[in-house]
Amino acid sequence: MDDLLLSKIRLSVVAELLNVQWVSFTDLARAIETTNGNLGAHLAKLVDAGYIAEEKTYAGRRPLSRYSLTETGRAAFVAHVRQLEALLSAAPEGNRS
Amino acid sequence: MDSSDAREHLEMVERIVAASSRKLEVSGEFFLVWGLASGTLDLIFQLVNDGRLPLATVWAGPLLIVAAVLYTAVRVRRFRAMPGARMTLLEREFLNVLWIALAMAFAVNLVGGHIFSQWAQAAIWSVAAAIALFYIAVHGNRRALVGGIVLLLSIAFANFSVPIAGYVLAGGMYLGYAGFGLADMLARE
Repeated sequence: MDDLLLSKIRLSVVAELLNVQWVSFTDLARAIETTNGNLGAHLAKLVDAGYIAEEKTYAGRRPLSRYSLTETGRAAFVAHVRQLEALLSAAPEGNRS
Repeated sequence: MDSSDAREHLEMVERIVAASSRKLEVSGEFFLVWGLASGTLDLIFQLVNDGRLPLATVWAGPLLIVAAVLYTAVRVRRFRAMPGARMTLLEREFLNVLWIALAMAFAVNLVGGHIFSQWAQAAIWSVAAAIALFYIAVHGNRRALVGGIVLLLSIAFANFSVPIAGYVLAGGMYLGYAGFGLADMLARE
């Protein structure tokens, strides 16, 4: 398992970025329903690991951060989901549903 | 992590991915603006060709295109600055198709002046516009399919009515391209 993706918030972030070119910080916070501070801390860990890329721009005078999934992040996500599926399929029948 | 956590995480991922795997959505206003600009360009060339407008009027054509480019740049800039804005991979792929089709049309117009006549050059833009609409159509948009067919029909009709080819191609751009944009905008309201 990917330790970084064991957190539901970080896994949500990567899943949110899977089918998009980029998403703004505000949009991510709204989608994941967490506080800006909490999301910022999780995003920083994903950026540090090279799973996501951060781009800082300006909307007028207001700073705007947006995020995209890197190839490293995509590969880690796929591997992690496969391992989750393997864990689920290896579980006894009664624990699956 | 146990199997119950794994299931919970997988279900969450499935929900998020399903929500973000939306169909291709395009902004009708761009098609409206570009359809009107391109159609008017064809119209101006035809009217100048027929002697109904002075030759100097052809300069309005490039000005129209520049205005459409500026409009597009401003609108895209504003969209990107919106806090809730997001661009899906599908939308990015469509922009690539649109960009390639338009760039090819522009390049062919630029370097093929001796082998493509005036109306052939105009028709090439209609082909590029049809490619963009058919790309949208294959992602389930019937209005785009109709628009693409209208553009192709305009080329076919223009082929058999060369003296008024500019009017026919302009009609194709107005109805097929701008018409698609307008219909898409109205459908969203």
